[in-house]
Amino acid sequence: MDGILTVLLFFPLLAGLLGFVVNKDSIRAYGIAVASIEFLLSLWLWMSFDVSHAGFQFVENIPLVSDFGISYYVGVDGISLFIIIMATLMTLIGIVALNIKKDVKNMIITLLFLEVAMVGVFISLDAIIFYLFWEFSLVPMLYIIGAWGGERRLYAAVKFFLYTFAGSLIMLIGMLYVAYVYHSVSGSWSFAITDWYALILPLDVEKWLFWAFFLGFAIKVPMFPFHTWLPYAHGQAPTVGSVILAAVLLKMGTYGFVRFSLPMFPDASVLYITPVAILAIIMIIYTAMVAYAQEDMKQTIAYSSVSHMGVIIIGTFAMNAEGITGSIFLMLSHGIVSGALFLLVGSIYDRRHTKLMSEFGGLASVMPKYAVIYGIMLMASVGLPLTIGFVGEYLSLAGFYKISPVMTALAGTSIILGAVYMLNLYKRSFFGPVTNEANKKLNDLDGKELAALVPLVLIVIWLGVYPKPVLVPIDNSVRALTSFMHEKAQTKTAKATILVSKKNKEMK
Amino acid sequence: MLESISVSLESLNLITLSPMLIAIVGALLILVIDLFKENLDKTLYVMLTMLILFVDIGATYSLNINERGFFDLMLVDGISVVSQLIILIASLFFIPLALTASSKRFHEYSYPEYFALFLFMVAGFQFMVSTDNLILIFVGLETASLSLYTLIAMHNTKGAHEAAVKYFTMGALAAGFFLMGSAAIYALTGSVELYEVAKILQSQGADSTAFMLPVLGGVVLMLVAVGFKVSLFPFHMWTPDVYEGSSAPMAGYMSIVPKLAMVTVAMRIFGIYINLDIEAVSYLIIIIAVITMTLSNMMALVQKDVKRMLAYSSISHAGFIMAALALGTTKANSSIFLYYAMFMVTNLGAFAMLWISQHKKKSFDERYDHPFEKFSGMISISPMAAVVMGIFMLSLAGVPPFSLFWGKLYLISSVVDFAVATAETKYMILAIVMVLNSAIAAYYYLKLIVYMFLRAPSTSETVVYANQSRPLNVVIGILVVITITSIFYVQPLLEFISYLVSSSGY
Repeated sequence: MDGILTVLLFFPLLAGLLGFVVNKDSIRAYGIAVASIEFLLSLWLWMSFDVSHAGFQFVENIPLVSDFGISYYVGVDGISLFIIIMATLMTLIGIVALNIKKDVKNMIITLLFLEVAMVGVFISLDAIIFYLFWEFSLVPMLYIIGAWGGERRLYAAVKFFLYTFAGSLIMLIGMLYVAYVYHSVSGSWSFAITDWYALILPLDVEKWLFWAFFLGFAIKVPMFPFHTWLPYAHGQAPTVGSVILAAVLLKMGTYGFVRFSLPMFPDASVLYITPVAILAIIMIIYTAMVAYAQEDMKQTIAYSSVSHMGVIIIGTFAMNAEGITGSIFLMLSHGIVSGALFLLVGSIYDRRHTKLMSEFGGLASVMPKYAVIYGIMLMASVGLPLTIGFVGEYLSLAGFYKISPVMTALAGTSIILGAVYMLNLYKRSFFGPVTNEANKKLNDLDGKELAALVPLVLIVIWLGVYPKPVLVPIDNSVRALTSFMHEKAQTKTAKATILVSKKNKEMK
Repeated sequence: MLESISVSLESLNLITLSPMLIAIVGALLILVIDLFKENLDKTLYVMLTMLILFVDIGATYSLNINERGFFDLMLVDGISVVSQLIILIASLFFIPLALTASSKRFHEYSYPEYFALFLFMVAGFQFMVSTDNLILIFVGLETASLSLYTLIAMHNTKGAHEAAVKYFTMGALAAGFFLMGSAAIYALTGSVELYEVAKILQSQGADSTAFMLPVLGGVVLMLVAVGFKVSLFPFHMWTPDVYEGSSAPMAGYMSIVPKLAMVTVAMRIFGIYINLDIEAVSYLIIIIAVITMTLSNMMALVQKDVKRMLAYSSISHAGFIMAALALGTTKANSSIFLYYAMFMVTNLGAFAMLWISQHKKKSFDERYDHPFEKFSGMISISPMAAVVMGIFMLSLAGVPPFSLFWGKLYLISSVVDFAVATAETKYMILAIVMVLNSAIAAYYYLKLIVYMFLRAPSTSETVVYANQSRPLNVVIGILVVITITSIFYVQPLLEFISYLVSSSGY
């Protein structure tokens, strides 16, 4: 059982390499089979996960470069477990719904390599190994956008790569800094984050390091001033690229905040709640307005996805168990919902080769199944109660309410604004008479698309109604995290802000 | 009447000379074979050269470190062993490329003199790095350089002659500056032995301005010489032209071996000043390094030819290395050799890959041999070659887990360590400038990847993949495997290098 993470990590790699041998007519089935096995492996991980235990499980630690403290150090806790499952699920769904005609074999193999990088990022407990997968994930995505994208794909692909690459190099300096501080304190090199957690840094050092890591993560999220690469990437990427990008790759940034920034720099994180929250609120409101102004359906969803990432940031920086649990749950729901929305836009694009809302209208009468699924996903995206979107959004905002009611209210506009642009989109595309001749003979969703979308609908409703099986393990690990941060915090304000959940219970 | 000199053979410690002697005897052997029988095939000479290099590696590896010999002229210390090993291994990868099939195009390899000159050059570089006597350094430098000029000229295309003459002129200037620098140091300290120079400088103290000014003058002259050879701003102008004129693998070889030898010498010379905490020296080097890496990155961005782009990129890598050299810590010095070891496999591979494609009919008005367009859509014409070249580009850009990432990681780490340890913000800024430069550099490496993978093949059928011979494939195959699997050997390599570097006090 101990080797399960290694299996999970290297299975897609091996499968990707073997995939070069598989005939290109059979590669689709191969891809689905491999992704299903990988997904089942991740479910097996969940089954054998000890829910009551908050720390890292299935830990493996093999030194790689012992002179420099780099080791193959992996493990999962409640925070990363479900993101891994979501990553494997969305890869599977992406491959099932794959609709490209050109070079299918290359696409499947690229997706499998991308899956290695995604799983790798979320299981790494060694900063350099984390960085390794983090950077490596750019390469397959560059190829996916650049080879199968729209007209301006090269620009979008290169912009995506360079933006993230530059940000993460600054983060690398931060990592090397921490490693050196660790070296000078303990006398040995280590990049293991569990070792780094124990390191208490001077406050002014913490401040700088916080921003170094912030830059790397914020570009990936992408947070407000750094978000300009994302609409391009989404606009040009093929459907499967957008699905993976929105569902999993963006989560690397928010996951990085939870895994690195909060426990390593609790004081700086508390100190900078306000600037970060302001950026997040600008991001929520501004991109929601931009989303409303879009003519292109995919751009609307791309901007809405940025807007909701703002709520995740708000939840993360709530510094209490509710907020962080909520933000992690929102990462999952955002992944599933925005992934599904991109799939839906992709299937209408395949039929009409346009994504402009003005081209549609009255789709509900032509494509009823499509309209229903679209509607459910839309509601989940807005955060309607009893859908998956509500739980995370509510918890995140409720958590942040303890920090600042005013800012929470501003962030809460995301629900209203979201409803505005989403319902606008739905109204213009689905309701009313069918005005465009070309829309009259559209086929409804076919079996392949239903196979990809129905499981997502089921998850959206299941976790919307009964989120407990997922929330409990997350909550356990988050509680451990917050109490650790509370212990570690040096300043009084930080101690007061980081609420330990036990106290909360007593207060209630 | 002169007194008779008696020297015992043991005190000469001739074993320290053995690696160079092997190379020289090997070169003479090749010449003698040619003397007895003409028209022997180049395969014989290639294999002989490889065997000689193997023996040379063995001899170098088995040297006892920190020994002196031959009236203290020879100094076998850690950095000399490391740089000799890297030089020899790079040569070992370079030489089998001569086996490429079309002997008409690459006729330089059909002359045995080529291999003899090559071995003389290797011996020259070995002398250069394993002494701390300025005169012997100069002799080694000139032996190696003169052989190298000839090797470039033997390529016998019109660009090659231009390149050789250009390189020769620049090399002569550099030699002049080196001699003037040595003369300045000798005039001040009365010695050409660097350890004596260090002692005298130490005893004089860094305080007396009257003494320091001429010392710095010597440093500047030396820095000019080093700058010419390592191609640092503002002495880097020759590099793209010379690389463009020489054959592609030779350009790759030139981007590593001569530079590494000169960097080792620079480490010995400037190490003295840096250890004395003469800040002006390290600032000077850092400023030059920063300008070098930034400016050459900017130039590389606008290149239309892949070979010129790689030439500018290797200038910027040299800037990286000089920045580490200015720190003078053990970690920084080890990182330089780790960087070179990693850079060697990737860059040799990248340059060798340029070789496998050529224009069928090169029209007279085409300016470039390897324009980016030539690589358009390589993935659909020659997928394996495109993947291999892509890996080399990613490695050069510093994307993990490919080899140069580890070099970059360790090198930047040494800068960050220095910044934290000295609590100086300016070194932190240096580290940030370095990573920003890496990000800029990623753009032009990506540009080639974009051409190869994401663009349609050019419709004109003028590009053929001619040189894809088995020896070339084997060498590139080995290089790419080394590039990919670097994560598994970084630890022993790092251990070996830092042991050698630290054991001789650098």
